[in-house]
Amino acid sequence: MSMSAGALQVQSLTKVFRDRGGVAVRAVDDVCFEVKRGEVLGLLGPNGAGKTTSIKCILGLMRPDSGRITLFGQDIQAAYPRILGKMSAVLEGSRNLYWRMSVWENVAFFSALHGVGSREDREYFGYLLKLFSLDEKRHTEVRKLSQGMKQKASVVCALARRTPLVFLDEPTLGLDVETSLELRSVLKRLAREEERTFVVSSHDMDVIQDVCTRVVIMSSGRIVVDDQVSHLMSLFRTRAYRIRLRGPAPQALEERLTQEFASVRVTDAETDAEIRVALSEDGDIYRLMDALRGEDAVIDEISHEEVDLEKVYLEIVRGERMRS
Amino acid sequence: MKLVSVLGAVFRRDWTMMKRYIVNSVSTLVSIYMIFILIFAGLQSMSGYVKTGALEGSLEGTIIGFFVWTFTIYAFSNLAWNLTNEAQTGTLEQLYLAPCGFKWVAASTLISDFVFSFVPIMLLLAAMMATTGKWLRVDLASLVPLLLITLLGAYGVGFALGGLALVFKRIQALFQIMQFVFVGLLVIPMRVPAAKYMPLVLGNDLIRRAMVDGVRMWRLPPGDILTAVAVGAAYLAVGVAVFSWCERVAKNRGLLGHY
Repeated sequence: MSMSAGALQVQSLTKVFRDRGGVAVRAVDDVCFEVKRGEVLGLLGPNGAGKTTSIKCILGLMRPDSGRITLFGQDIQAAYPRILGKMSAVLEGSRNLYWRMSVWENVAFFSALHGVGSREDREYFGYLLKLFSLDEKRHTEVRKLSQGMKQKASVVCALARRTPLVFLDEPTLGLDVETSLELRSVLKRLAREEERTFVVSSHDMDVIQDVCTRVVIMSSGRIVVDDQVSHLMSLFRTRAYRIRLRGPAPQALEERLTQEFASVRVTDAETDAEIRVALSEDGDIYRLMDALRGEDAVIDEISHEEVDLEKVYLEIVRGERMRS
Repeated sequence: MKLVSVLGAVFRRDWTMMKRYIVNSVSTLVSIYMIFILIFAGLQSMSGYVKTGALEGSLEGTIIGFFVWTFTIYAFSNLAWNLTNEAQTGTLEQLYLAPCGFKWVAASTLISDFVFSFVPIMLLLAAMMATTGKWLRVDLASLVPLLLITLLGAYGVGFALGGLALVFKRIQALFQIMQFVFVGLLVIPMRVPAAKYMPLVLGNDLIRRAMVDGVRMWRLPPGDILTAVAVGAAYLAVGVAVFSWCERVAKNRGLLGHY
């Protein structure tokens, strides 16, 4: 194994499903990305974007049509199934557990499948249960736990296998705000302390923004963005504008702006109108000004819009939809 | 050694599950015993052969057939039903993430099922013998290897049906039909041409010879034992091949985690 190798390299991954009529759907289309050791990567995208399919292809639970996947320098196909000793996953949250067994029994069982169960390992299980505030429930059957606790138990089961790469598909699904915050804090701590590599797929932008250093955004089976979260945010911070008009927006203005800019939103208050827009090219600001002047709109104030990852994500996905 | 670790884990899981579902485990055995009682009562009222002794030997055959059938049902259905249930509850994909490969997890489940079903089914045998008053020879040193040889074919069917369940999902009706097919196989007389090449048939006959005639395993004809092993191994190999093919189809279509 090459020491300089990243944790995961995905090259030209393609997965095509065929329906009963033989019509092909490219669920994952020529996807390439890399995850460095110790990195926490966010995998984002709307439903059907190809996130889960990509993860399952990497885990060997689905057979890709083409592409090459390398894990810590080893070709996955050549080293399967031994290579599974290097990765674990939460795929369907609480459904990944035996509900008639206790939290501890589940953790011990799934870890033993990976050959993990020494005295030191069991101490680590206890450490994880404490970290996730499940220590008092360790001997409780999973079916008797709340949804949030089940979800956390499922994450503990994946982490307890001590694999260097962990996939978390929707780890905060169904969690309340407090539990979600707790989970995020623990994940950050583990990534920092144990230098493990995480790939987190989620619709919860707060989780991704809080936990991940880099994001890959997928849409219709393709990667549309692969960037550092901080860079993406600063990029959009400089592109997102809020323009307050003096008086209501002229009648034709909204129609004209919608035609020219994919992400524009015009809100008309009783006295003033407000325009929010993310511009994708340098020259767009001049086009915007021309449009406002052309419709006799009077600008009262222009400012950079405060952005968060959710807005960035929505701009990207909507823009991608417009293009396709 | 991960293989041993996996086997141990599966044993602990199945022991835990058996305790948690104790009512279900006991009621299954009671139901099987009740069916036997009904068959026994039916045979008695129809021919009165037990009293006259006119069909001496059939009763022993019925007990042994029922005993082997129970083991067979446990052997084939545990794998096939478990696969369906694991896919339904969502744990199947996690089992597929085992670095030793899923087939070893499945094999461990079969071994564990055999061990945990052995004592209850032996108790069932004792109950059947007590009910009928026919006491058969139970020599474990002969009986256990002969049972395992006989069940190879049933395990093959279990793998094949488990594989089909991965792809087609709702095939429980086929599982139930198979239970009757096994009854048919266990009542086929050895004089039927090619009967010994069918799953269970020769093994069942060898068990009958060991339990009724009191022949120890090493005194049975080696040719018959080798044939039973070869036939069982062939059905197991076919079952595993069908399972592997279905697994490949399920992975191609992304069906492993679906139900």
